Amino acid sequence: MHQPGRDVRIDVRSLGKSYGSVEALIDVTLNAKAGSVLAVLGHNGAGKSTLVDILATRSAPTSGEATVCGWDVTRFGRHIRRHIGMAGQFVGLDDSLSGRGNLILLARLLGASRKQAKERADELIALFDLTDAATRKVATYSGGMRRRLDLAASVLGRPDVLFLDEPSTGLDPMSRAALWWFIERLAADGTTVLLTTQYLEEADHLASDVVVLGAGRVVARGTPTQLKSSFGSRTATVTFADDTSMRRAIAVLGLAANPTADEARRTVTVPVTGAAGVTTLVRMLDAAGVFATDLTTAEPTLNDVYMTLHEHGWPAS
Amino acid sequence: MAGLMSRHALPARHDPRSYDPEATVTLYLRHNGYQPPQRQGPQWTGTRLSTQVAVLAGRSLRAAFSDYRLVFFGLLQPIVLLLLFSQVFSALGTLPGVAEYQSYLNFLMPATMVNIALATAMSSGVGLLAEVYTGFVGRLRAMPVNLLAVLMARTVSDAVRLAVQLAVAVLAAVYLLDFQPPNAMGTIAAMLLCVVFGWGLSWIFVALATWQHKPEIMHAASFVVMFPLMFSSSAYMPVNSMPGWLQAVSKANPVTYAIDATRALALGKPVGSALAMAVLLIAGAALLGGAISARNFRRTR
Repeated sequence: MHQPGRDVRIDVRSLGKSYGSVEALIDVTLNAKAGSVLAVLGHNGAGKSTLVDILATRSAPTSGEATVCGWDVTRFGRHIRRHIGMAGQFVGLDDSLSGRGNLILLARLLGASRKQAKERADELIALFDLTDAATRKVATYSGGMRRRLDLAASVLGRPDVLFLDEPSTGLDPMSRAALWWFIERLAADGTTVLLTTQYLEEADHLASDVVVLGAGRVVARGTPTQLKSSFGSRTATVTFADDTSMRRAIAVLGLAANPTADEARRTVTVPVTGAAGVTTLVRMLDAAGVFATDLTTAEPTLNDVYMTLHEHGWPAS
Repeated sequence: MAGLMSRHALPARHDPRSYDPEATVTLYLRHNGYQPPQRQGPQWTGTRLSTQVAVLAGRSLRAAFSDYRLVFFGLLQPIVLLLLFSQVFSALGTLPGVAEYQSYLNFLMPATMVNIALATAMSSGVGLLAEVYTGFVGRLRAMPVNLLAVLMARTVSDAVRLAVQLAVAVLAAVYLLDFQPPNAMGTIAAMLLCVVFGWGLSWIFVALATWQHKPEIMHAASFVVMFPLMFSSSAYMPVNSMPGWLQAVSKANPVTYAIDATRALALGKPVGSALAMAVLLIAGAALLGGAISARNFRRTR
């Protein structure tokens, strides 16, 4: 029998899930420790939600093993559900109740007394800025408000592990920023957060580890920094005052690098390595007598990682 | 997890691509200095089945009675049906098998009570499907909630709703349409039987809802079940006046026993074996429906 783990909160080994002949997950292995944020990145249909459903014990795996808080998902679902929170892609609320009513109801189902449930509901209503709409029926809420209430419901029971399936979908930039702030502090306080996302910036910002899913398989994994250094590169973008300067720069830089030009903006972008790369770039332009009006550098993003992997046909990690 | 630690060691405002968290807190969360609630209070890990049923049934009842339009039309519907049937078929009051009840309304009213129970049972299935579609049940699947509580709450709350409907329908029939039950106790017993009948039958419709998942199919299937059951029973005509084959169907129809027992209780007639048969059938329906729905309404797929 599995004993509850102390450090590893999510442990997935060679997990597989198929629906008939369709394989939604193939040989997925990953883990997350207490107080960490693990981002599962992938396009639509990559298997992110299937993975979350299995870990939240809403769906059974076809093969492999997975434990949450040390408990096997297929045999000890009851134990797991006592320690997890979940906000799915589709908001699961009772439209006929108010926002506050929903939270009180769910807290009562978790075992809170009436008084505790009301206090906790009020606390989360204030935290997620729903005070003005607290007594209104959820049916009248906007998409963003529903999403916020759903997130509030997911942390009602103070879970050890929180599953967030594309939590930013439908949120305005301000709400998304607040969500990020909230997730960061949950993790800092010891909660393990597994979030799926298509927002690469989100994974980059929040996650200590990233797993990239492609067609049900893990196609890349690592810290955001590792992934970016493996699959992306730092770039420098130079802006020119006129077309002639830009074309001369392309000719000069083309000898050493692989420049890409944006003719409308009169910019040329080249990959660079470290400070020396930028210096070399400036020297080459200066030697050729080409004058630039601006120079900016950019770190690789997970978007680069994602696109590179996609172009290479999802190489296995 | 070194990445995480270093990420947290640095104030987020130093990240050039980041938002300003303090400003966000002020503007959006309105909680300066707020600490996450994670470890500030108890971690709730579930409660008893009875509490879950009570909480969920209370929620369903609040939803059912919170919209006055829904309440109004829900209560009006059986009264309208009763009025129409009693007037259109009033000439049948002299038929053998009906005349002994003094009026067609007296003959019809107990059948209408069973009809209300059937309609409410039918709505249990539709109501469950609606909950599945809103995603609310999906959330419960990831919580320490016994899914049987969802089904039990559905049928219990619908039984309470049915009791209210029956009380209003009987009062309306007595005071507006001249329904003449001989004594109150018999009528109350008949209402109780209908509530139990509706509750038992609701498990069949709940089982139907857990078997297929389209509300349209659920509606169609429910009507296909409901109308033959009502019209091939002793609801609107004495069984003896029906064609031979229909008499055979009627005698095999469980609704006939429920109507006969309700009619006998409400109008102070001998109950005979109808009550025992009705209770037996209700228990069978509840057990069968409960077993099927519990099997289908599994947590994992």
